[in-house]
Amino acid sequence: MAEVLVPIGPQHPALKEPVSFRVWADGEVIVRLEMDVSYNHRGIEKGAEQRDFHRTLPLLERICGICSHSHTTVFAKGIEALMQVEAPPRARAIRTVVAELERVHSHLLWLGVAAHEVGFNTLFMWTWRDREAVQDVLEALTGNRVNYGINAVGGVRRDWPPDLVSTALDRVAPLGDRVRLYADMVAREKTMLARFTGVGKLTREQVLAYGAVGPTARASGVDYDVRRDDPYLDYARLPWKVITDDHGDVLGRTLVRVGELHESLNMIQVLLRDLPPGEIRAKVPRTAPPGEFLSRYEAPRGELVHFLRTNGTDRAERVDVRTPTMANWTSVAMALRGRWLADIPVIVAAIDPCLSCTSRVSLADPEGRDRGGMTWDELREHGIRFYAEGRHER
Amino acid sequence: MANLPVLSEMFGNLGSRPSTVLYPFVKVPVPEGFRGRVAVDDSRCIGCGKCVQACPASCVEMVKDEREVEVKGRRITRKRRPEVMVFRCIRCGLCEDSCAQDPKAIFLTPAFAGSGPDRRLVVR
Repeated sequence: MAEVLVPIGPQHPALKEPVSFRVWADGEVIVRLEMDVSYNHRGIEKGAEQRDFHRTLPLLERICGICSHSHTTVFAKGIEALMQVEAPPRARAIRTVVAELERVHSHLLWLGVAAHEVGFNTLFMWTWRDREAVQDVLEALTGNRVNYGINAVGGVRRDWPPDLVSTALDRVAPLGDRVRLYADMVAREKTMLARFTGVGKLTREQVLAYGAVGPTARASGVDYDVRRDDPYLDYARLPWKVITDDHGDVLGRTLVRVGELHESLNMIQVLLRDLPPGEIRAKVPRTAPPGEFLSRYEAPRGELVHFLRTNGTDRAERVDVRTPTMANWTSVAMALRGRWLADIPVIVAAIDPCLSCTSRVSLADPEGRDRGGMTWDELREHGIRFYAEGRHER
Repeated sequence: MANLPVLSEMFGNLGSRPSTVLYPFVKVPVPEGFRGRVAVDDSRCIGCGKCVQACPASCVEMVKDEREVEVKGRRITRKRRPEVMVFRCIRCGLCEDSCAQDPKAIFLTPAFAGSGPDRRLVVR
């Protein structure tokens, strides 16, 4: 039978963000997948190079609505390393608490989305209700539910009085039981087992070859977590363990995330019970000396990398963002091969894709119908033409 | 037996209150320190312009407004005052952090709601 092209997106009811899949199928079986993830290009990297470090943080926070704290922490930590200053212990603890609360709400959101993709909407409602409690805690601790604005270069912007900390502890504590309930459900519910077991299988070798990160990699037995392997903030002194699984399928990715929920909730409680006293912000110079730094961070979806180059001024010369979703896409294309068309939503959802973080440059020709990527030479020619025609002034 | 956790959760929920509230008919609690709509108290402003430098969204502008103010016991003539384009504001609070006055002349209020079509709407 001849192969059939099934176009999905960029606008599609099953997708929350614009992405274009061109799925080649032989009957119901996927032969290969072509992707275009470039519908959300916002020029944030360039914007980050045009403003000083302090004004860059709120911009980077808006790369992603779920990992907003990840992007500011990885940037602030990199700039602090270049400036050779260290955030005070209390600031590091506060950053860690917000980072882990962010992981909890992200994983709860994912669990709900995954359940929704297989039609188990009851679990979707329950996890999102519990996520609401985490969002409320974040709102009380930082002043916002999405863009926390807690980070500053050199520390954090807001101190937490003891009564706020104890209220947060009281609200986080009951979530442990809820997560245990979900762990039980994931392992036993027929709906989830039927749709997750053996679906989107990736071997350890495949994960390593395609560079997958985060829960996707750990679910295939890759024992790798930046929090342990390149410790930052307070992770080296906290009691926790890296969760891995060897199912290699969507079930494995679910079990890893549920396990991480446990670990994160424990870390949050340990930290909140014993927040180090002292300053929350170190004095930092206005400029950073010339240098380069590769700042790494374990975001909820996997390893997040910011490459930073400074040139002695108060702004970065280059900010390059490599988001975990970018690293995970190749593994999705491989995991889909040989599976049914019907498995696409689950396999794609299993990496918890975040497209607005991932989008890179894309070409759209307003005169014709041509659409696609740009080579370096085309981009160069486009730049020359753009300015020669004076389009930058319009 | 495999369905036990789901069933116990379902029966538990039968007797509980809804998780949602009837906003806007019910007032939603806003925690202390929530970063809401920006406000300017002109009576406290000395026109230093630090908020303009701090704003990442470039939504604060200094406009001409001369007035006598007291700074550290000295009387000086303030030349300018800030105006904030409220729908360009991203509510980061960096202007409030940078304000040298105590209490602050530019600050975020707990008011979270509010939208409108006029991009150039300013608060003074």
